[in-house]
Amino acid sequence: MKLAFYPGCSLEGMARDYADSIDAVFRSLEIGLVEIDDWSCCGATAAHSLSEMMAVALPARNIAAAEKMGLDVVVPCANCFNRMRFSQAMIRKGIFDVPWSVTGKTRIHDMTRFLSRDDMIEKIRRRLLRPLSGLKLISYYGCQMVRPPRITGFTDYENPQTLDRLAAAAGADVLDWSYKTTCCGASIGIGRRDIQEALTRKLLAKAVRTGADAIVVSCPLCQSNLDSIQADAGGRKLPIFYFTEVLRLALTRVGRSQRWLRTHIADPVPLLRARRLLP
Amino acid sequence: MHDNAAHRRSARSDVNRRHRIGDRGDHFLRRVEGETGANLSACYQCERCTNACPVSAFMDVKPHQVIRYIQLGWRETLLASSTVWVCLSCEMCTTYCPNEVGVAETINHLRKMATHSTIRPKEPHLAVFHQTFLEELQRFGRVNEFWLMGALNLKPGVLKDKIRSGALRQEIELGYTLWRLGKLKLIPHRCKAVRGIRALYRNRYAEKD
Repeated sequence: MKLAFYPGCSLEGMARDYADSIDAVFRSLEIGLVEIDDWSCCGATAAHSLSEMMAVALPARNIAAAEKMGLDVVVPCANCFNRMRFSQAMIRKGIFDVPWSVTGKTRIHDMTRFLSRDDMIEKIRRRLLRPLSGLKLISYYGCQMVRPPRITGFTDYENPQTLDRLAAAAGADVLDWSYKTTCCGASIGIGRRDIQEALTRKLLAKAVRTGADAIVVSCPLCQSNLDSIQADAGGRKLPIFYFTEVLRLALTRVGRSQRWLRTHIADPVPLLRARRLLP
Repeated sequence: MHDNAAHRRSARSDVNRRHRIGDRGDHFLRRVEGETGANLSACYQCERCTNACPVSAFMDVKPHQVIRYIQLGWRETLLASSTVWVCLSCEMCTTYCPNEVGVAETINHLRKMATHSTIRPKEPHLAVFHQTFLEELQRFGRVNEFWLMGALNLKPGVLKDKIRSGALRQEIELGYTLWRLGKLKLIPHRCKAVRGIRALYRNRYAEKD
């Protein structure tokens, strides 16, 4: 099985750990990921804030490249996924002309939804090396992956289940909570740090009250927001995992250095040792 | 007697300064509806958008008021509001609107209008961030966080404000932490197709707002 892979800019920088864990998980599931050749940025929020044309044309370039490969696309970043689906919808409607030839027939998958298909869950269950029993996790989806439903194709946008199913497949205890799709503030912290802190702290406080050990996310910006706000906070820190890191922990061996686990500001290693998941 | 006349005059000018309902016609409403395809006339002010919005507390014009102001044609009030910049495009409002008014798309469109207008943005830092993001995008074809923040700090007034508020120190500390964790890519990757992207960027200015 082979898929075209669109990493997105974050996975080269702030979300390097996400990229590494995706690589490890897909390798252990024996699914080939082929990076789209010479991909470019999807434009993110800035493009659709300033120009509709850019918001359609920038992702269209990557969709065109994927169509040439003739493979389905899988996208790990929530915002990239949203922008690509949006661009494809607009091109299908024929509202904008783009300088690249796009038929709009390629399927664009969100990575969580692709991996939480029944056959994939079954595959994960079969290959489980270290069930994460006793680890209480809550999943946080954020905005861009699920909304607006007519673009993302999520039917359960009020209570999405993809991350929950994956964490449960890894053997963790998944708790329910009410802030699954409440916005974390996205990039607003660059101009108005007060707003971002207010939103992110509300999420973290609720997560602690729910009794979670850690949060599972799939969006690089959500991870960075939730993680970096804990840099100056004293007391107990709540590790923020990418869902692929949870899967990697369950599916592969962890070396003695545990280096890939040491890339977060809220270090998860003490928690995992306390739950006897690491030596 | 004289006092009374002066009082009456000032009262009259006060009335003139206030927005009166229905005095603007519906051409702004028609324009926004035409450009976004959102059926703004369907809004019956149930305030579900405002209640769903995570940042409505930080907005001066609440989401349901945005729709009403468009109906009334109060363009300047809207474009000078903090709402257009504070909005996170999290799409809560659009998702929960019972009449399928595209609230987030409408605010997004107003943000575009504000960018192309001469009205000074209420949140200059957020406005300049979007601009810088696109500039960095056309420089390399991909966006590098380190270079993006660097370019943003070189924009007029940004660094000064950050030093004053102490945000710069926080930013440097966070940058150092990320570098230590190996999450800061210092040398950007240049996309091979960057020329095509730059051509797009140039054409952007030909697009009408």
